[in-house]
Amino acid sequence: MMRTFNAFIVSVLATAVLLPKAACADDEDTIAYRQHVMKTLGALSAALGQIVEKKVVVAPETLVAHTQAMAVTAKMAKMTFQPKVLGGESKPEVWSNWADFSKRLDELTAYTDAVASAAKSGGLAAAAPKISDAQACKGCHDQYRQKK
Amino acid sequence: MNRLLKFVGGVVCVAALMPAVAGADDKEIIEYRQHIMNALNEHSASLGMIMSFAVPDDNTVAHFEAIALLSKTALEAFEPKVKGGESKPEVWTQWPDFSKRMKEFAQNSDMVAKLGATQGKEAAVNHVLDALPCKACHDIYRAEPKQ
Repeated sequence: MMRTFNAFIVSVLATAVLLPKAACADDEDTIAYRQHVMKTLGALSAALGQIVEKKVVVAPETLVAHTQAMAVTAKMAKMTFQPKVLGGESKPEVWSNWADFSKRLDELTAYTDAVASAAKSGGLAAAAPKISDAQACKGCHDQYRQKK
Repeated sequence: MNRLLKFVGGVVCVAALMPAVAGADDKEIIEYRQHIMNALNEHSASLGMIMSFAVPDDNTVAHFEAIALLSKTALEAFEPKVKGGESKPEVWTQWPDFSKRMKEFAQNSDMVAKLGATQGKEAAVNHVLDALPCKACHDIYRAEPKQ
């Protein structure tokens, strides 16, 4: 009897201790959603990198579609970080330095728009020099992303 | 003698493995198409979260637009006949069917993205199955992802 009671108390205490640390379902969704968007950007950046380095050859209209998809996705990124939900690979500095972080995401949006316009008007030759600017991912990741 | 056996064993192993290993160019081709399919997958998953009300729906039309843009690039990524990744060999042995499905995917997702842009997100969501017939194609042409 006493053993059962003790086990019950332990489980209640364990639940109470763990509860505040566990992200609620909504927070988990918020984190999962922003990870989907950032993984999309990662995949598109990697594909564009292969095109620029001429490791793969694609039709001019494919390059345009890629860069436009990148620009559309980049516009979503800032919105996904607006809820202040710590977790995933985001450092707390995303929100404690929000002015700087959001400025960088605005710059990413402007850059990706510029790359898409260049790809449409001048193909790879025009887009390639801008892509190195637009892929300023590392600068931001170094400051705001936790190492996996 | 032991050394000779080890050497011969090593040579046999390398020879046996060689045909299964893609060359540098082939690896790039496989990686490239994986990047495209991963990007499509992430956008689809995002839409799934929106449609199950897990996250706000502000980006609905943008996700459909991105899927439409990427779907146009997908078929080209499979044109080089380079087996590997999660693609089954049937992609290339049944190329007329596979390419027909990919073209329909591109056309339908474009149609749904335009619906979203002109008539709003509800109109696009109502046609989500036209835009994303992923499973039907994956069942035939995609090997189970390795865990």
